[in-house]
Amino acid sequence: MKSLYVFTEKSICRLSVLSGTRPYCDTMNEFAIVTKDLTKSYKDVVALENLNLSVRQGEIFGLLGHNGAGKTTTVNLLTTLLVPTSGTVEIEGVDSSKSAKDIRKLIGYLPENVQLYNNMTTMENLRFFANLSGLKKPEARIKEVLDYLNFNSHYNKSIGTFSKGMRQRVGIAQAILHNPSVLFLDEPTSGLDPEGVRQLRDVIIRLNADLGVTIFMNTHLLSEVTKTCSSIGILKGGKLAYQNSMNSTLAEFPDQDSLEDIYLSIETAD
Amino acid sequence: MNKIFSVARMEILDIRRSKLMLSLLGFFLIAAIVSVVVASIDFGVKADAYKTYTDALAASGITNPATAPQLFPLHLMRAAIEYLEILGALFAIILGYAAIAKEKQRGTLSLLFTRPIGNFTLVLGKLGALALVWLAFVSIVVLATMLTAVIAGHAQLSATDVGRLLLTILGAWIYLLVWTAVAVSIASTSKKLTTALIVSIVLWLLVVLVIPQVGDTMDPDNQVPGGLFKSLQIAKPDETAVLANFTGYNSARDALEISSVTKHFERYTFAFLGIKDQYNQQPIGTVWAGVFINALALWLFAIGTLVISLFTTKPKTLLRTSK
Repeated sequence: MKSLYVFTEKSICRLSVLSGTRPYCDTMNEFAIVTKDLTKSYKDVVALENLNLSVRQGEIFGLLGHNGAGKTTTVNLLTTLLVPTSGTVEIEGVDSSKSAKDIRKLIGYLPENVQLYNNMTTMENLRFFANLSGLKKPEARIKEVLDYLNFNSHYNKSIGTFSKGMRQRVGIAQAILHNPSVLFLDEPTSGLDPEGVRQLRDVIIRLNADLGVTIFMNTHLLSEVTKTCSSIGILKGGKLAYQNSMNSTLAEFPDQDSLEDIYLSIETAD
Repeated sequence: MNKIFSVARMEILDIRRSKLMLSLLGFFLIAAIVSVVVASIDFGVKADAYKTYTDALAASGITNPATAPQLFPLHLMRAAIEYLEILGALFAIILGYAAIAKEKQRGTLSLLFTRPIGNFTLVLGKLGALALVWLAFVSIVVLATMLTAVIAGHAQLSATDVGRLLLTILGAWIYLLVWTAVAVSIASTSKKLTTALIVSIVLWLLVVLVIPQVGDTMDPDNQVPGGLFKSLQIAKPDETAVLANFTGYNSARDALEISSVTKHFERYTFAFLGIKDQYNQQPIGTVWAGVFINALALWLFAIGTLVISLFTTKPKTLLRTSK
């Protein structure tokens, strides 16, 4: 599946190949995500300090960092689940402090260990989230998205009977139902078996290639980052220690054999 | 509005598929019906005893001096109303608590609040769903118990009785909404769900059991069987004169009782069902005038708790406490 991009003077319109979806027009922003001096404190603890991050349109961005580095806090701030202590977040040029609701129309979100309504079917879960996203008559769109994710055979099955990998599929389906331009994935491969990891990676790459969705993911799995991400950022103690494209990163550290070595060298540097 | 309906529809679907919830509601319905059957049998026993008594008198050539026992069909609902008052409130707490707790436990709140919904969409949808559930539930309980009274107790209902039943349904519905809203607020604001449940149950104990019981115990009529003044054979005017010396005591008892929404519900329903002697067989207008203050209190409790639940169940509160 392909997306058709129409460039006009003021906007880039992405005409999704998934039928029944309205063309999504982005204002002409070079960056899908921009944070300026983004800070989040919990009483005396600073979870994130002066984060200045920029993610280009259409990138798959991987945010790396040890446990407690501030990755989930960053995603929660970007998805409007948290309010910053100071600093700003812009998604597609929309300032979250001015219109969180508008930002939510632009984003899709897959939390770590996605939890859905277990006593409901795939269709019932997705119809609920489609309605909350403001989709009118969402059934056709749901079938289309499930078809895209090769999940149509589980349309009427209860989520409670699903494996972790299958839940992730439904989670991704709910995240892309409303045709978002930015997708946030929090540890998407956490707890998946190798087959599940591979399938999810394929889905992420296809979403990015077919629909032009900018993808922001938190992950520990550096091998997956190497295979999927076009750029990375490394958080260390709540601060952005490094950000660059994947190619430039590999070129910048010619002595390191892998991303894991690069990551550890940045993490251990003073 | 469409999004609120979606939340409400999901909540109702969830309750319909919850075996625990259906078991609780089913148990309540059976208990209420059984209570009416027992009350009907009890009345039947009294009627038979009266007939045996009058037959024996007639055989002895004595004119019957005793009045026949009268069946007031609505009185058969007394136990069902008491169940609603105590168990109904507890079930309302469980449903209200569960509406929020399950979202926190499932971890679905972060998915909900990354959708473009308003601050009040979730709580309005949930409360709307629970309001519908309670309306259906109270209607079924009242209608089922009355049907049982008609079948098992051979009771005959007048048009006025139907009016009284509708007003009872309304009062019970509001009462259950109050407890639902209380539980929603507590579950939303508590950092730990176990704390929320304990606080809700303690509140239920205080408001439903302790305060009305203390108030009842302070009533001179309840301090000895048959009433203190009656047992001392003190006439009503003298009783009033005596009580005039205890205005502080009576004010304290009144203040205690009116602080409990349960007491207002009890006074309201017992009056309309004629269980309270002074309102038995009185026109609805007369009863209404007598319990207007209780009806108003029920509404004020409902409005107050609903407003509190609206402002305590916002994304900011829920996400802060759902970690």
